[in-house]
Amino acid sequence: MNVDKKRSLSRSVKVQSATKSLVLIPIAVGINLIGGTLCSTLKLPLFLDMIGTIVIAVLSGPWVAALCGLLTNLFLALVANPVYLPYALVSVLCGLVTGYLIKAGLFRNKFGVVVTWLVVTLTNTVSASLITIFVYGGATGVNSTSLVTAALLATTKKIMFSVFSSSMVENLIDKAIVFVIAYLIIQRIPKKFLSQYSSSLGDD
Amino acid sequence: MDELAIEVKDLSFRYRQTTHAALSHVSFSVPKGSFFCIIGGNGVGKSTLCNTFVGLIPHYFLGKMDGEVRVNGQSILDQSIADLSSQIGLVFQNPFNQLSYTASTVAEELAYGLGNRGVAREEMVKKVAAVAKLMRIDQVLDQNPLDLSGGQAQRVAFGSTFILEPKILVLDECTTQLDPMGADDIFAIVKRLNHEGITVVMVDHDMERVAEYADQILVLAAGSPVLQGTPAEVFGDPRLAEFGVEPPAYATVTQALAQRHLIKAELGVTKEQAVALVKEGLNHAH
Amino acid sequence: MGSGEPVKSPIEKLNPLTKMLAIFCLGLATLIYPNSWLGLGIVIVLFGVAGIAHILTSFAKTIFGFGIPISLMLFFIQGLYSPKNKTIIADLGFAKLGEEGLLYAAKIVITLLVFLATFYIMNQTTYAGKMVAALTRSGINPQVGYLILASLNVVPQMHRRLDIIKEAQEARGVETTGGLWARLKAYVPLMGPVVMSSLTDAQERGMTLETRGFANTNVKRTSYIEVTTSKADTYLRAGLIIFLVAVIIISIWMRWAQ
Repeated sequence: MNVDKKRSLSRSVKVQSATKSLVLIPIAVGINLIGGTLCSTLKLPLFLDMIGTIVIAVLSGPWVAALCGLLTNLFLALVANPVYLPYALVSVLCGLVTGYLIKAGLFRNKFGVVVTWLVVTLTNTVSASLITIFVYGGATGVNSTSLVTAALLATTKKIMFSVFSSSMVENLIDKAIVFVIAYLIIQRIPKKFLSQYSSSLGDD
Repeated sequence: MDELAIEVKDLSFRYRQTTHAALSHVSFSVPKGSFFCIIGGNGVGKSTLCNTFVGLIPHYFLGKMDGEVRVNGQSILDQSIADLSSQIGLVFQNPFNQLSYTASTVAEELAYGLGNRGVAREEMVKKVAAVAKLMRIDQVLDQNPLDLSGGQAQRVAFGSTFILEPKILVLDECTTQLDPMGADDIFAIVKRLNHEGITVVMVDHDMERVAEYADQILVLAAGSPVLQGTPAEVFGDPRLAEFGVEPPAYATVTQALAQRHLIKAELGVTKEQAVALVKEGLNHAH
Repeated sequence: MGSGEPVKSPIEKLNPLTKMLAIFCLGLATLIYPNSWLGLGIVIVLFGVAGIAHILTSFAKTIFGFGIPISLMLFFIQGLYSPKNKTIIADLGFAKLGEEGLLYAAKIVITLLVFLATFYIMNQTTYAGKMVAALTRSGINPQVGYLILASLNVVPQMHRRLDIIKEAQEARGVETTGGLWARLKAYVPLMGPVVMSSLTDAQERGMTLETRGFANTNVKRTSYIEVTTSKADTYLRAGLIIFLVAVIIISIWMRWAQ
């Protein structure tokens, strides 16, 4: 190494350390799962398992958020029920969509948050329904949505429509709560912490 | 001239998106083998300075750095944090944030840094045993580090740092969260390592401890050095209160006694010095 | 994952990579095979494996707990409403029960059961640290290893923190009952402190990883955990691959012969 080489004494670091984002992922997974635990404690027929994904999307961008979604489902599959494994694809897609919308600046005002909420709900509904139909043939039998699906099916007799509509209603409510909580959390993160990430909320 | 362990030249640092500099125009040096203490009020840049020594600034924290920091003669800009870890090790306040979270036993935790260097398993096992003995954690090697007490966990953090064989140890309030006994255990080890030639740079709020151990003290205020000297010089300085530092009780007491000519005009900053001065004064009185 | 208890069954002693290969080979074989019988056979064999590993009771609970509800659900949906239904077995009045739908449902259930069963056995008999050590030795990215192990350690730690706060809130008289909105209002604020402290902890944990040389490049990582590949591992791996290849050939032949 050439120690005596002429170098600028002033050095401004803009590149984010990969480790800094990496250590956030298990914590974001934990936040996602705490949401799920909260639901079962409160006996809510919801998931609330995307709060961490949204927070990490703000801090570290779409791909880290996608990885966080993937791990959340892996973890659920590992400790709760392997049924959740194929839905990892849904979590990955939602992480990416949220991340890119936030990157486009949609989280800087409340209107943007509403748009993000609707787009993510739609992404979630479509991809989750497709998985329910193609992997499980229509229902997983693990939650109340399966019962709604069955009831709708008995009256409408169309698998695709039944799965889709029962999932849509559940998702709109679930994601609305998730986005409100995530938005409140992000507002409260100390500026000193936020400034260490290439966040899309502030300027340099 | 003494060889220098750390050399800081006109160092300034400002965290990203902040308006105030955390450090501005800091210059000082730490001779090899010494016990160097950095003191000052809250938020004056002590931790920022410690993070600079090990390369976390500028390689981990985002911000703008000016000036130069050399560790064992080499600039931190030319080395990665991983490279620096074989020269200089950092132990900070919260023991549970100094775990890798990849280990389910203390032994695995201690070996983690070695694994990142690709050290062969046989050598790892030997080094883990040696460090565990030094840190007196050989009884808990099979326990999960997350189940340990704060004091034990901090000794694991120490061990995980020291197993990488740094010549300089940076201690950033490393006993603040521990009970007095846990703190004394750690300092007994630190003192021994310093005697064996390890350079120690310590940030601490316990001024009695600082007075007892320090060869040199640097006082920071608002990101800049304001005072430097031996414990007697620093704790005898009348401006100390301005800088948010309260001298050890022994110094205050001996100073007051000396002013009334009850003991000779000398500052006792440690218990031993103060006791000796008072005894001498009492003998004179008789 | 299992906590690596000292009681070692032969299944526990296997190299984690062998078990991962088993999930892949057995699951894929079931998926490829044209009907459900092979999968059913594998599930029965896996009950024996669970017995050897001393986890038979919990294994049976998991398999039936998952298998029965999903079977009922799928037989209902696919049996009655699948567009593939041509051969009608029974007319229930409000709908007709079709053979094709039932067979399709049986295939889905049995494939899922094979994946679930193999996955469950690996999960219960493999120490996570050993699995990551084995993967590290075979050259996976250290960041992947970190994510697996750190998630397994961090998530329970966060749950413990939440529980502590929850107990404190309950001691102060916060109710878990009441309307949906009241319950949300009582519990959502609980997340705040856990989330905030966890995020700030993350920054320091990142510092620790960095100063332990985590970002080291061009170094083949080593581990304190010993991973061995025994003769049993070698034979089992070969057996699994031969089995998968044989199933592929037989499946192609069966479809071609139809």
